[in-house]
Amino acid sequence: MSIVHTGEQQAIASESRRVLDARTDKVRLLGLLQGIGEYDRPFWDTAVGQGWTGLAVPEAHGGLGLGLIELGLVAQATGAVTAGAPFLTTNHGAACALLAGDDAALQARWLPGIAAGEAVGAVAFAEGAVLPAMPRTELVDGRLFGVKTGVTAGLRADFAVVWARRDGKPALALADIAGISRRPIDSFDNSRLFADLVFSDTPATLLAEGDAARIMALDILARMAVITAHEQVGGAEALLFVARDYANTRKAFGQPIGAFQSVKHRIAELYGLVEIARANCIHAAALADDPGGQPDFLKAAAAARLAATEAYDTAARDCVQIHGGIGVTWEAGLHLHMRRARSLAIEQGNMLFWEDLLAAELSGVSA
Amino acid sequence: MSDLEAYRLKARAWLESVAPTFGRAAQAGLPEAQHLALGRRYQRARFDAGFAGINWDTAFGGQGLSPLHKLIFEQEEMPFGMPMGYFGVSLGISVPVVMRFAQDREWARERVLAALRGDEIWCQLFSEPSGGSDLAGVRTRAEPDGNGWKLNGQKLWTTFAQHSDYGVIIARNDPAVPKHKGLTFFWVDMRSPGVTVRPIRLAAAGHDHVNEVFFDNVGLTDGQRLSPVGSGFATAMATLMIERYSASDPAGFGPSIDTFAALAREVEVNGRPAIEDGRVRSALARGYAMRAGLEAITTRAMKMMAAGMEPGPEGSLNKLVSVRSRQKLSELAIDLMGTLGLAWDQHASSKDDWVASWLAAPTGRIAGGADEMLLNTIAEKILGLPQDHRPDKGVPFNQIPA
Ligand SMILES: Cc1cc2nc3c(=O)[nH]c(=O)nc-3n(C[C@H](O)[C@H](O)[C@H](O)COP(=O)(O)OP(=O)(O)OC[C@H]3O[C@@H](n4cnc5c(N)ncnc54)[C@H](O)[C@@H]3O)c2cc1C
Repeated sequence: MSIVHTGEQQAIASESRRVLDARTDKVRLLGLLQGIGEYDRPFWDTAVGQGWTGLAVPEAHGGLGLGLIELGLVAQATGAVTAGAPFLTTNHGAACALLAGDDAALQARWLPGIAAGEAVGAVAFAEGAVLPAMPRTELVDGRLFGVKTGVTAGLRADFAVVWARRDGKPALALADIAGISRRPIDSFDNSRLFADLVFSDTPATLLAEGDAARIMALDILARMAVITAHEQVGGAEALLFVARDYANTRKAFGQPIGAFQSVKHRIAELYGLVEIARANCIHAAALADDPGGQPDFLKAAAAARLAATEAYDTAARDCVQIHGGIGVTWEAGLHLHMRRARSLAIEQGNMLFWEDLLAAELSGVSA
Repeated sequence: MSDLEAYRLKARAWLESVAPTFGRAAQAGLPEAQHLALGRRYQRARFDAGFAGINWDTAFGGQGLSPLHKLIFEQEEMPFGMPMGYFGVSLGISVPVVMRFAQDREWARERVLAALRGDEIWCQLFSEPSGGSDLAGVRTRAEPDGNGWKLNGQKLWTTFAQHSDYGVIIARNDPAVPKHKGLTFFWVDMRSPGVTVRPIRLAAAGHDHVNEVFFDNVGLTDGQRLSPVGSGFATAMATLMIERYSASDPAGFGPSIDTFAALAREVEVNGRPAIEDGRVRSALARGYAMRAGLEAITTRAMKMMAAGMEPGPEGSLNKLVSVRSRQKLSELAIDLMGTLGLAWDQHASSKDDWVASWLAAPTGRIAGGADEMLLNTIAEKILGLPQDHRPDKGVPFNQIPA
């Protein structure tokens, strides 16, 4: 379907961009790379202050009742500055699980906190693979046992939506994780707060099971993937402009390096990758927010995800290359994008996962 | 239902009604002369039904509708494979120039009407043996001759010159000034004495359609001039913008992604359906993602136009990205067929045959702007990157080493 953004949506895009440009400090972000469990508090304060935390939470639960189109535009702005906390995405996934799970008590317990930016939810699906057909983590008599690996926001989350098995069938459960054991991961992108979550006799509430759980999990993952794809587009576009500006000013052999076609065409190719990814993102977000969009949403989400991962990875690679030696220094900070391009490529399912899923949607044949 | 949706349905209904007469099946196996005749009848039928010159001035026989209406009609028309190829350059490039710039307005009106009815065809005489990308480097000379001009030189790659009644041509009137400055734009009667058209055979099959055209002391009146003397390059650039919106195909005018998925279900790799092979799944998924992105760009552009806004420059990615991808996907498809992929049906269409698509794909990456030139345009015009080093810049044309 695709859409043309309304005036309000354009305002959200430009305002979030402006605020983040003003308040992001590269040195602070570089510092976060070297600490485990630290995230960028000024960024999260900004997100709360700007109302981004409640953007896509229904009004009945204290949010603004907007959708993935608006949240996507904010994500694009956060991606452009490699914002130092992952909660907008994980909280959207958690909120979707709460809404789909239809448990009023749980909703009352967590949704207002998500909207206010006080509570943090994690989506704990992966065990190596992002969504194993039959997870090893088990739900027995309302208690969870098992390990979820590399959970984004895992070091800070208050609760987790967990992909588990129950009586030999897949299930989605929600657990308060205040007391559980978390194994921090010292990662190449530490402000994502990756951790393995160790469930051992952890009380949990069943949200769905069997096919219903599988459909719900896939929908949550796809929605998070669309937000992430927006972030990737924001990052890729920022790098495109950085590369362009550098190529216009840096000189070699008596001319700007941007006059060499191997540099110039690389940047033009980036433009193509970014615009194709952006168009896919807008299309996917519009389908997610359209009541009739469900049948095509998964395909669109997969396309957005694949295009955005390709765009961001390529932009990171090429932008560093175009900078020559300065590009690989710690201080120049291009590696913030390089790192983020990879961490985002893995969160929400890698390329192989989305290629297989999309191929299955297109051909009717599963991997 | 919006006005545009109603228009789409009306166009589709008309196309369906004439499909038995003009569609793919009706064209199968026709020799070129009969195919051209069918094409002319189709163009006439379009005109009579009010679907020709959709966004052109009614004073010139057009319909006075928006470019968006034209785009919608073209989108609906594409799947039918109608025999409209003969009129692509004529109505898409050359005739709009005549309509805008010809000095004798009544004569221009007659020509436009004749072209819209399919009675007359126009070609575009820009590229030459010495270069196509470097348009300002043309060598064909236009020398003052009495009150008019005399043309001498050679053009190359002229699509459908052999069927053309007229052409628009760019020629050098002054070799002593830098190359962009000494060019003038004219129209020329292709039946004039001194014009010789010779066909060029292309590697891909189908009817031969490009030619080399020789001009040997061809006389022009000054009334045939379409630009101020010496301003031909600027006019030529401006004319490319007149019909800047035309229907694109995210499949790069090759087979659809569904056609690829169907092939991958049919053929086998290692004794199993190819679609179960990860390499094939990856190509299918990525091909789809790229095409879906182009399609979303087009849809958004059309919605912007409908809202009275100017679409963004990203529409210029279409040809570059889609044809390249079609070329690779066609190679892979032939690969998948293995020895079954060796057959070549010279009459098959690029839209549904992988070999035909693969053989014709290079043309799409060269004609109408080579990939490298499109990348330069994106880099310079959209992103503001510097021009390449150009040793001929500012140098009088006759002092540039040949
Ligand atoms: C089927 C077909 C139909 C055509 N129909 C018409 C027609 O009706 N009328 C008409 O006037 N022309 C027509 N053309 C010509 C077409 O526009 C030219 O072929 C095209 O512009 C390329 O020019 P060239 O063939 O001279 O290649 P060249 O310009 O010599 O280019 C050769 C190679 O060099 C590259 N190159 C050139 N300059 C640069 C640069 N600055 N930077 C990087 N790379 C560069 C090109 O990208 C290309 O890869 C047609 C061509 C084809 C194949």
